[in-house]
Amino acid sequence: MRKLIAAASMALVSLTGAALADGHENYPERPLMMMVSYGAGGATDFQARIVTMTAGNEDALGLPIAILNKPGAGGRVGWNWFATQAEADGYTLGAYNVPHFIAQSIEGGVSYTADSFEPIANWGADPAVFVVSADSEFNTMEDVVNYAKENPGKLTFSGAGLFVGHHIAALQLEKAAGVKLAYIPNNKGGAGAMKAVIAGEVLGGVNNLSDAFRAQQAGNIKILGVFDLERSDFLPDVPTMAEQGFDIDNSSVNFRGVMVPKGTPQPIIDKLAETVPEMFKNPRVAKQMKAGGSPMHIMTRDEVLEMWAAREETLQELLSGL
Amino acid sequence: MSAIWQTQHVLASGIVAAVGVGVAYISYTAQPAQAFLFPRLISTVFVVLALWTFGKAVIGKTKVGNGLNRTQMIHIAPGLIVALVYIFWAAKGLGFYTATAIAFFILLTLYDPSPHNEPRTWIKRVVITAGFMAVMYGLFAMLLNVFTPREIFF
Amino acid sequence: MEFIGYMGDVFTPINFMLLLIGTIGGLILGATPGLSPTMAVALLIPFTFKLDATQGLILLGAAYTSTVAGGAVSAILLKIPGAPANIATTLDGHTMARKGQGARALQLSFIASLVGGVFGVFLLIFLTPVLAQWALAFGPSHLFWLAILGVTVIGSLDSSSVVKGLLSGCIGLWLATVGFDDIMGAQRFIFHDAVAGGINIIPALIGLFAIPQVITMFANGRKPSETEVLSVERHPIREALKEVAGRTRALSIGTAVGSFIGLIPGVGGQIAGLVAYDQSRKVSSEREKFGTGHSEGIIAAESANNAMVGPSLVPLLTLSIPGSPTAAVLLGGLLIHGIFPGSDLFDNHPQVAWTFINSMLIGQIMMCIFGLYVAGLAARVAQVPNAVMAAVVLGLAVFGSYSVQHSMGDVYVMAALGTGMYFLERFGFSAAPLVLGLILGPIAEANFVQGSMIANATSNLGSYFLTGPLNLTLIAIVVASIVYSAWMEIRHRRYTTKDEAVAKEEALS
Repeated sequence: MRKLIAAASMALVSLTGAALADGHENYPERPLMMMVSYGAGGATDFQARIVTMTAGNEDALGLPIAILNKPGAGGRVGWNWFATQAEADGYTLGAYNVPHFIAQSIEGGVSYTADSFEPIANWGADPAVFVVSADSEFNTMEDVVNYAKENPGKLTFSGAGLFVGHHIAALQLEKAAGVKLAYIPNNKGGAGAMKAVIAGEVLGGVNNLSDAFRAQQAGNIKILGVFDLERSDFLPDVPTMAEQGFDIDNSSVNFRGVMVPKGTPQPIIDKLAETVPEMFKNPRVAKQMKAGGSPMHIMTRDEVLEMWAAREETLQELLSGL
Repeated sequence: MSAIWQTQHVLASGIVAAVGVGVAYISYTAQPAQAFLFPRLISTVFVVLALWTFGKAVIGKTKVGNGLNRTQMIHIAPGLIVALVYIFWAAKGLGFYTATAIAFFILLTLYDPSPHNEPRTWIKRVVITAGFMAVMYGLFAMLLNVFTPREIFF
Repeated sequence: MEFIGYMGDVFTPINFMLLLIGTIGGLILGATPGLSPTMAVALLIPFTFKLDATQGLILLGAAYTSTVAGGAVSAILLKIPGAPANIATTLDGHTMARKGQGARALQLSFIASLVGGVFGVFLLIFLTPVLAQWALAFGPSHLFWLAILGVTVIGSLDSSSVVKGLLSGCIGLWLATVGFDDIMGAQRFIFHDAVAGGINIIPALIGLFAIPQVITMFANGRKPSETEVLSVERHPIREALKEVAGRTRALSIGTAVGSFIGLIPGVGGQIAGLVAYDQSRKVSSEREKFGTGHSEGIIAAESANNAMVGPSLVPLLTLSIPGSPTAAVLLGGLLIHGIFPGSDLFDNHPQVAWTFINSMLIGQIMMCIFGLYVAGLAARVAQVPNAVMAAVVLGLAVFGSYSVQHSMGDVYVMAALGTGMYFLERFGFSAAPLVLGLILGPIAEANFVQGSMIANATSNLGSYFLTGPLNLTLIAIVVASIVYSAWMEIRHRRYTTKDEAVAKEEALS
C-alpha cells in the first residue's frame, strides 16, 4: 500500500512538474520590461538600451524589451522596488550593477541582498579610473598621493555616490596608499562627478572608464590610472593602479548585467540564462557598444553567481573597516 | 464672516500645523542625524509659518480662501468617492481599462446635465466613453507601449 | 556663419520628412500628460538605430524643441503641465482658455516659444565657447544660492498671501525630502510603500494641478455650466503677432531669463519659466492682472522655456557633459552612432553637429506654424462639457502618472497630493509654490551637502559659501528679491482690505 501511495505521489509530482514546464513553454508571450535603477541617458541606461535592442529578433526572445528607469539614491530606489514590488513572473527583468548593490546591502538600510535576485547574464565591465582636469598639475598617481600626504584630508575628489563602484575604488586607494582623502559624492551620478572635475570644483575624481575615455577625447581631462587588474583596450597607455605600486584589485569594476527577482519560475530562468548571453553576442550589439566606448564582458549565469559570491566576500572585508 | 467659514479655516490650518509639528519631531529625533540636517531646517520654518497661519485663523484674521459651502460639499462627495475608489482600488483590482471605462461612465452619469430618462442621453454617454477608451488604448497601449495592470481584459 | 553652409542638409526630402515627423510627433508627445521632454526623446531613440547619425539627430532635435512647446498645449487646455517647464504657463494660459480665448492663449504661447527658441539656438550657434564657461562657473555654492533665489520667488508667486505662499513652499520642500536621501542613502519619512522611492516630480505635478481642477468641476454639480454656452472666440494670427510684438518687456525678460538660467546644468530648465514669470510680473505696470489670463504671463513663461532649449545643450556639445536629463538622452543618441560630443564633434563631424543645430532652428519654425494651424481647433476643448472634461482629465491623470515609471505607487501619490491640494487651495494655499519647493528642495540640499564637504576639506564653510564674486552677486539678487517682495506686500496692504481680497478671489474661482 505504502509503495502504491509513493508511486502515485511520484506520478503526481512528475505530472505537475510536466504541467508547470508546459505553462512556460511559450514564454515569452508578451513584451518584457527591464528596470534600470539609474536615469535615462546614464551609462547603465545607455548600455541597457543597446544590449536589449535585438531582443525582438527571432533567434533571441522574439519580443522586445522596454527599458524602465527608476533612478534615485545611487540605485537603491530601483533595486528596493525590484526586490519587494516587482512581479516574479519572468516579464520583469532588472539591470544590476556590481559592486553597487552588494556594497549597499552590506551597508544596510535597504530591503535587498545578493540573495534577493537571480542573475541571468553579464554584459559589460566598466572599470573605474582616476581623472584630473586637463590643466591639473598632477600627472601620475604618485603626484596625487604625494599631495595627499602633504595635505592630509584636503585632496578633494568626486565620484558618483556612496557605496557605489567609485566609492569602493576611493576606499581602496586610501587603504593602499595609506593616506586620508576627501571623497565628495555627487548627487548627479557619474556625469555630475565629471563636471565637478572639469569645472575645477574638486582636484580629481573617480569616474567610469567609458565616460572618462570620452572626456579625454574631448581634451577636458587626464586619466592617471585604472582600478583594474589589467590595462583597458580603450586606454592602452594608462597604467593600472598595481603597476603604479598600489595594491588594488578589480573589486570596484562596475559589472553590468541582467537579473530577475527571486521566485521567478526555474524554467524561465533557464530559458533566459540560455538565450540572453547569445543575444548579447549579436554583432550589431558589439558594434554599437564599441562605438559608444563601452567595454563589453559577457558572462553566463554560473559565472555571474560565482562573481557575486566573490565580491560579497571582498566587500565585507573592505567595508568592515568603516 | 460666518462662523462655519472660520471653523473650516481653523481646521485646515490646524491640520497643516499638526503635520508640521510631526515633521519637525521626526526630523529632530530620527537617525542618522546627518541625513536629517536639511529636514530640520525646513521643518523649523514650516512650523513657524504654520503656527502663524493657525493663530491668524483662530483670531479670525484669515484673508484668503473661500472654504467650502454645503452645496459644494454635496456636489463633490459622489464624484470624489467614485474617483478615489477608482484610483485606490479599481484601477489595480479590475485592470486599468475596465476600471477607467466604468469610472468614466459613472462620472458622466453623475454630472452630465442631460435628462436621464431619454435613450439619446444614454447612447451619447456610451459613445463618449467608448471614444475616450479607444483614444487611451491607442495612445498608451499601442503608441507608447505602456503595460498597465490588466486583470479581466486588455 | 558656418551653420548656413549646412542648411541645405535639412531640406533634403528624407531629412525634411524626418524633421516634420519629429516636430509633429514631439507636439503630440509633449501634449500627453506624464510624458516629459526627456521621456519623449528617450522613446524616439530606438527609431534612430536604423537611421544614420545626421538623420537620427534631426529627428531628436526637432522632437526636443517641439515637446517643450507641446507641453504648453496641455497646460493651457487641461491645466496639466506636461513638465516643470510649463508650470508657469498654466497660471495665465489656462485662465485665458476658460474664458473662451484658448486660441489666443495657444497662439501667444507658440509665437513666444518661437521667439525665445530661435534666440536660444542663435546663442548656441554664436556664443557657445562663452556660454560653456558660464555653465561651468556654477559650483555647489552657487547652485545652492540659485536654489535659494528660487525659494524667494515662492513667496511672491502667490499673489494673495505671502505667508501661505511660503508655507506651501515649505510643504513642497518637505515632500522633496521624502524617500532616500540622495547622498547618504538614508531613508526619510517613508510612511507608505508608495513613497519609498521618493515623490516623483511628474506624477506630483499632474496630481497637484489636474486633480483640484477635476474636483472643482465636480463642485459645479449637475447643472449646465457656462462652458456649454461659451463661444470659443476665433482669434486671427495677425492679432496674436501684434500682441506678442507689443509685449516686448515680457518677451525680452522671458527670453533673457530662459537662456541664461536655462544654461546652468541641472537647475535652469525646470525653474526658468517660473522665474521669468515672476520677474516679468515684478516689473510689469499691470502686475495685478497676472493670474487672471494676462498675455504677459504666457509670453514670459513660454519664451523662457523654449529659450532654454538651445543653451541647455551647450555643456553637452562643447564639454561632453549632459547638463539636463534630456541632454543625457541626446548624448545616448550620439554615442550610438559612435560620435563623441566635444571638440571632436565640431572638428570631425561638422555636418552632424550643424545639421542637428539647424534642425532645431527649422524645427522651431515648423513647430510654430503647425501649432498656430491647430490652435483654433484645439481651443474648442474649452467647449467640452464639464462632466466629460472632469472624467477625461481624471483618466489622463491616472494613465499619465502610471506611465512615467509603470508604478501604481505614483498613481496613489498623484491622487493623494491632488485631493489634498484641492482642499488646501480652498483655504488660500497654492500649487505653484508647492511644486517649486518640490523641485528646489533636492537642488538646495545636495549642493549644500556637497559644498560643505568640499569646504570642510579645503577651507571653511563661511568662505566657501559667502565669498567670490558669483556668490556675492547671487546673494545680492536674493536680498533684493526679498526686499522687493516685502516692500510690495506692505504697499499693497495699505489699500487692500480683507473683503476686497475675498472679492477678488471669488471673481477668480
